[in-house]
Amino acid sequence: MTRSRLGYPNLGLGVGLRNVHFNHILQEQPAVDWFEVISENFIDSAGRPRYVLEQIAERYPVVMHGVSLSIGSTDPLDFDYLAKLKRLAHEVNARWISDHLCWTGVLGVNAHDLLPLPLNEESLNHVVRRVRTVQDFLERPLVLENPSSYVTFAHSTMPEWEFMARMADETDCGLLLDVNNVYVSSVNHGFDPFEYVQNLPHERIVQMHLAGHTDCGTHLIDTHDGQVVDPVWRLYRLAHERTGGVSSLLEWDAKIPPFPVVHAEVLKARAFMSHELNPPPENSRQATPRDARVPSDRAHPHPATLVLAQVE
Amino acid sequence: MEEFPLNAVQRWMQSVIVHSQGVPAGLVAEDTHQHLDVPNLEQLIPCSPSQSSVERLAVYANAYYARLIECLQSEFPVFSQTVGEEAFAEFAADYVQRYPSRSYSLGDLGTNFPRYLAETKPIADGQGPYPDWAEFLVELANLERTFSEVFDGPGLENKPALGVVDLQATDLQKWPQARIKFAPCFRLLSLQFPLNGFYSSVKEGKKADFPPPSDSWFAVTRRDFIVRRYGLNRPQFMLLSSLLEGRTVEEAIGAAAESYAAEPDALARDLHAWFRAWAAAPFFQSVEFDD
Repeated sequence: MTRSRLGYPNLGLGVGLRNVHFNHILQEQPAVDWFEVISENFIDSAGRPRYVLEQIAERYPVVMHGVSLSIGSTDPLDFDYLAKLKRLAHEVNARWISDHLCWTGVLGVNAHDLLPLPLNEESLNHVVRRVRTVQDFLERPLVLENPSSYVTFAHSTMPEWEFMARMADETDCGLLLDVNNVYVSSVNHGFDPFEYVQNLPHERIVQMHLAGHTDCGTHLIDTHDGQVVDPVWRLYRLAHERTGGVSSLLEWDAKIPPFPVVHAEVLKARAFMSHELNPPPENSRQATPRDARVPSDRAHPHPATLVLAQVE
Repeated sequence: MEEFPLNAVQRWMQSVIVHSQGVPAGLVAEDTHQHLDVPNLEQLIPCSPSQSSVERLAVYANAYYARLIECLQSEFPVFSQTVGEEAFAEFAADYVQRYPSRSYSLGDLGTNFPRYLAETKPIADGQGPYPDWAEFLVELANLERTFSEVFDGPGLENKPALGVVDLQATDLQKWPQARIKFAPCFRLLSLQFPLNGFYSSVKEGKKADFPPPSDSWFAVTRRDFIVRRYGLNRPQFMLLSSLLEGRTVEEAIGAAAESYAAEPDALARDLHAWFRAWAAAPFFQSVEFDD
């Protein structure tokens, strides 16, 4: 029998570390349960980003979240990159290492996007082989997140939740359930997000993500630029009930407000966990006023995280 | 045999979404067809109730350029303000076509941007407009990229540096034959335009005219994890560049003296002040003596 969360601890309610908050966190030492860092922003850093991470890792639990593993790519795995991940994880005592069920490029190119896979036996076998290789190399379970997606493939043969469940079962990897991504994809592709959450193997869910998205009218885009909407909170509550509680984290990557605002947003999870807040009835897409919708060419999916130079 | 093998689908999709003319052009491009023949797009990418297959793919295509242009704009803010947002987006889009990212890190995306500008700038044949503003832009991009590398590269914050006290404790008899090891974050720049002041003005949001060409030199280093700039005169540049090449202090002072206009006694006084300031910066990691 699989142990809950693969034996990993429930770290509580965390916040994604972003460079605009570096000074606030170092100076104020806010009472945050834990931080998640974008691995690629730190694995090569020998400057301030790395210094800040070391300071934070001394005070808070840290989890490493990557955007370039490209576990689904048909390009070879990058073992130099994996070696750097492994070294940093050791040096900052990362509680676990996560990335996405996606590919980011082929032919040596990195599109820096979380591109979707056809969900069929060929992809599953390919991903399972690579997850095993990565886990053997890292000497720890990998935790993989469901991405938001904007296309589906006609030759997919299974829903994403089934792909995730079988992948986890065959590799013993963990799952990072992004409830905002489930919601975004459910609207874009017309599936039931609650069925998705209900069918995931809850004992394999190590962590959850919360984030805001943008309504473009015809589709949603995972922009991480605002508050979490009610339907996503409802999915979160369901997942919380199913898992019994796992480490949860808010991602805010664009139009980033001051740190206390971001922190307050993730702390709302407490109320949803205890049923103090009741979002609207199930199965309703949150209506965005027509004039508040954003044209598709002005909203872009995360990730686009970059630490910028500070020059005097 | 799978009709749409995974490796072919990925190459096809990448070819479509990175095409410079958008998804419709990407779908009919020769490169795309080499990877996978898709006579009917819906057989591979079904439409949704509210979006066509092309519109769905366009989410990724729009994001590809928008994301990378935004990252480049963040890394080259003064360059972007100088040429204007629209022109910058054109530069950046052309750049990522010629130099697509091959790194796991967006921090490496701008590595080749100065080289791209140098490779694509109009050839200066002496007949063109003077000054060579294209060269001005190359130098500006190179400056901003240097800042990024110095900011995130190795420094001396957690290592011993050669400070003023260490410098004063050095055996004066051995000093002429000393060689200086520079801080790993130290960079020396020789430019055709006086960019230091221009950069500061634009960064502070002030209106800055393009400065007329004039040789300028400066050093870039990092202290307390912040990038610092130091303007130099020509003798200072000659001295530092000689030291950076591994020459002895005596040889480097000789190189500086060749471009020093004042009396030799004045040079001796200046050297003392220069080394004190540079040690405080800090430019130097250690001093080494030949056995």
